[in-house]
Amino acid sequence: MIKFLFDGLMRDKSRSLLPIIVVALGVMMTVFLQSYMNGVMGDSIEASANFTTGHVKVMTRAYNQNISQMPNDMALLGVDTLLQKLNKQYPDVTWAERIQFAGLLDAPDSKGHTRSQGNVTGMGISLLKSNEEIDRMNLRNNLVSGRFPNKPDEILLSDQLFHKMNLKLGDEVTLISSSMYGDMAMYNFHVSGTLHFGINVLDRGTMIADISDVRSALNMENAAGEILGFFRGKRYDDKMAITYADNFNKQYATSKDKYAPEMLPLSDMNNMGFFVAYDNEVQKIIIMVFIIAMAVVLWNAGLIGGLRRYGEFGLRLAIGESKHEIYRSLVAESLLVGIIGSLIGVLLGLFISYFMEKYGIDTSEMMKDSTFMLPTVLRAHITATTYFIGFIPGIISTVIGAMLAGIGIYKRQTANLFKELES
Amino acid sequence: MKSLKFSLSLLLITTISNAQNYPSGKSILDKVDNNMSSKSRVVTAKMEIAGSRATRTMVEKTYSEGDHKAYTEYLAPAREKGTKMLKLENQLWIYSPSTDRTIQISGHMLRQSVMGSDMSYEDLMNDTPLLHRYKADVTGEESIDSRTCWIVTLTAIIADITYYRQKMWVDKEHYVPLKIEMFAKSGKLLKRTTLSNIQKVQGRWFPMSFTYKDMLKDGVGTKISILDIQLDSAIPANYFNLGNLN
Amino acid sequence: MLLIKTALRSLIGNGLKTWLNVFVLSFSFVLIIFMQGLLEGWNRQAVKDAVKWEIAGGQYWNQKYDPYDPFSIDSSASALPVTFKSEYAAHQLEPILISQGTIYPGGHMFSTLLKGIRADQHLLALPTNLLKSKNSSDIPVIIGMNMAKQTNLKVNDIVTLRWRDVNGTFEAVDIRIAGIFKTPVPTVDVGQIWLSLKQLQKMTLQPNAATILIKSDQVATQTLTAWPFKDQIEMTKQTVALVKAKSTGFSIFYFIFLMLALIAIFDTQTLSIFRRQREIGTFVALGMTQSQVVGLFTLEGTLNALLAIVAGTLYGLPLFIYYALKGLSFGMDTSSFGIPMDDRMYPVFTPNLIFGTIIFIIVITAAVSYLPARKIARMKPTDAIRGKAL
Repeated sequence: MIKFLFDGLMRDKSRSLLPIIVVALGVMMTVFLQSYMNGVMGDSIEASANFTTGHVKVMTRAYNQNISQMPNDMALLGVDTLLQKLNKQYPDVTWAERIQFAGLLDAPDSKGHTRSQGNVTGMGISLLKSNEEIDRMNLRNNLVSGRFPNKPDEILLSDQLFHKMNLKLGDEVTLISSSMYGDMAMYNFHVSGTLHFGINVLDRGTMIADISDVRSALNMENAAGEILGFFRGKRYDDKMAITYADNFNKQYATSKDKYAPEMLPLSDMNNMGFFVAYDNEVQKIIIMVFIIAMAVVLWNAGLIGGLRRYGEFGLRLAIGESKHEIYRSLVAESLLVGIIGSLIGVLLGLFISYFMEKYGIDTSEMMKDSTFMLPTVLRAHITATTYFIGFIPGIISTVIGAMLAGIGIYKRQTANLFKELES
Repeated sequence: MKSLKFSLSLLLITTISNAQNYPSGKSILDKVDNNMSSKSRVVTAKMEIAGSRATRTMVEKTYSEGDHKAYTEYLAPAREKGTKMLKLENQLWIYSPSTDRTIQISGHMLRQSVMGSDMSYEDLMNDTPLLHRYKADVTGEESIDSRTCWIVTLTAIIADITYYRQKMWVDKEHYVPLKIEMFAKSGKLLKRTTLSNIQKVQGRWFPMSFTYKDMLKDGVGTKISILDIQLDSAIPANYFNLGNLN
Repeated sequence: MLLIKTALRSLIGNGLKTWLNVFVLSFSFVLIIFMQGLLEGWNRQAVKDAVKWEIAGGQYWNQKYDPYDPFSIDSSASALPVTFKSEYAAHQLEPILISQGTIYPGGHMFSTLLKGIRADQHLLALPTNLLKSKNSSDIPVIIGMNMAKQTNLKVNDIVTLRWRDVNGTFEAVDIRIAGIFKTPVPTVDVGQIWLSLKQLQKMTLQPNAATILIKSDQVATQTLTAWPFKDQIEMTKQTVALVKAKSTGFSIFYFIFLMLALIAIFDTQTLSIFRRQREIGTFVALGMTQSQVVGLFTLEGTLNALLAIVAGTLYGLPLFIYYALKGLSFGMDTSSFGIPMDDRMYPVFTPNLIFGTIIFIIVITAAVSYLPARKIARMKPTDAIRGKAL
């Protein structure tokens, strides 16, 4: 039966081609829209997660309360045991230790006297052990000159400050900052590369160093300001983050220690709650509306497809097929069209989405002067939903369209239908 | 109303008459100076800095000549060992051995705390004699740990000054300050130094322990204990040479 | 006219199919206008809020003032230029003195910016009338909700403030939180304390000094090298850029929606041309040129857009009017987002937006209708009349 219908579809191009094209295009757009919405909305969240908040973040209670001041004196201690514990308790989360700090960068002249100085906001991340953090923070795209640190005491500096301080790659600079205990800390670094972020506050003076060097510099052995957790291979999931945080914090519920560790979900940090809510709700609504509109269009296509074949139905009735059989074959045919169209559409949609995920649309020109932490490249993102969401409008609405169109078969007189054969 | 006026004027009279009985502020400060100042000093001290989570201990050795030259070397802990600080007149340099750099501390960096203590570099820089900066009045007497003290109130006479007013409790017998409080112009207490364990050193009375505390912040402050002190010993001139820091 | 009537009649005669197409097209139409209106509304509101809370008619900045360099802030004030004397007296120019301070809420140090402003100013929406002190020892201050949240301070709380006067002398007093204001402009809220200008000038020993001058838009701008002027456009550049970036993100979304509607029209057109070959043949037989028939079919397709606009207006207009008047609330406290945004957004529908969208939709619908209709020109009329042309 299916083969018969399929042959029919293949042989009559006008019966198959146009509906399939329409279904495929519609499905393609549904798929693309879903991945695009996912990408653009999710990217703001992921950008924030990757750069500052993580999907969840562990800090001491006191650090969290004073977070705007980068209070390294309130940092987590005994990080190795804490990490072991976290790894054991949450095997599906990758943990990354980070230290944020502020200080003064001082470049010496040949005699070792100060030649130029600049204020920096710094971040100690794992740079030498693996590329995980470089990829996570997407630093490769930001590298303007030089290379990433590959040995201890090398740093990346924002390009703007690098030029302001009149530095050359490989130059030695001294960081003057406060150690974890509040005393003055001095430490020498070499500039191995420069970064451009396109975000004013970051471009003014950012330095990125390997966390072990920052620990030496700031006397923070086995300490870290924050430990960021990222769901392995997954984007942010608010429910999961909240569950993990609640579960973790329960272990310290009775502790009065203001330096006890505390886990926060992303939605509780940096006012990200709005974006998470926006992401979840608005995205759902927009996609729903789109699917409804899509269904309307495909229904219409199915309707048209059915109408133009009344002549054929007349003939088939004339040679003795029952109306039911014709109706059933019409619906089955539309199902086939729906499946084929949806398959093609999903493939096409995934193809476009894949390109949009990989390359994206660069809006950084527009965002040049912005101080907001927003991703400047609009990208799609393919999720599990992307693979099947297109089939919903693709198949259901095509079939509904055909079913509605098919009702006409019952309404019309056989003779009338037959007459249409002549056309 | 009348009685209030009366008692007020009575109070005024008593204060005035009391003030007449007090020695002048200058004379007390001079005596403190006589007791404590020396041509040179070599002090080894232990500094305990109480953070809210842990107390750190460091040992430093300071060589000073008069009020304008001071050279400090940190001996412990290992991390700070070899860190040197040189003060000449109103300039301050720090040498850190790990970076092999000498950095001049100036501007806003002076406001940073010394080794994480409640003391700022700026607090170290105030080396002009008190009487050049403040008008001193004896404003009362009080006992501290059963030692009777004069209370000397210092009020700024120059504008360019960190603390507008200081109060100093000076032991009447030994002429050693036992407590110093620093105030804002509004009268708010900002910092307090308590000096204790007064011992006789080469014929002078010296406080061998200090605590230094920022009164607006929580915490217990910074404790300094003198481990060894030598007065009037000759210090080689190259100690006060900037080129010698590294 | 007859052409339009014919086209319209056959279009409406198509019944449900047409209405489905029209519905989707009208939906894209309403959506484009609504979303763009919302963004435009946000943009205007953010600019308006910034003007209301921070910029007024523009700001003169002391040339030494660099808001990004906390270390230079204390030395970036100087005396109010004499040329502004009358404007100052008339409250058409409000000097603001900016200085650094530290507060100690609950024994913790918290660095803040101190901003002095005249209590009786009316250029900015800040509730500065609360800055009038009750007695000589009372120092009332106002802070934003965000700052209140960061420092855990409530109205009537007393907190110690420490600062340094212009000579570097430490000074500390207790200040009273006289009011907590809610503002959509984070740059007058986060990490700062507002107090009376006189008070701050007295506290820092800088009588008559100011760091920035806020000007009323009633008075002309003067050019002073020591006080470069920052106009509203310059001051709101970043907000505008943010909204612009958002609208780029949205435009892909409209594009997809519109594509959907256009596919529907394309589909309908193709099929109706296929089904109506005999009709086409008849038109040609009756003396119409083929290009006239192409025109007729294109017109018929384009009428979809007109119907969509009518339909869109029918259900869109009340919606637009409702939201333009009532605003759209996201049901949350936006003051904590750190982006310039009100709790309630009022979309703005400009004639440019509405007519631009209408013309845009008509033009591309016409294009999509024309594409399948081109086939007609290639038909043999004899085949067409027999229904065998395609």
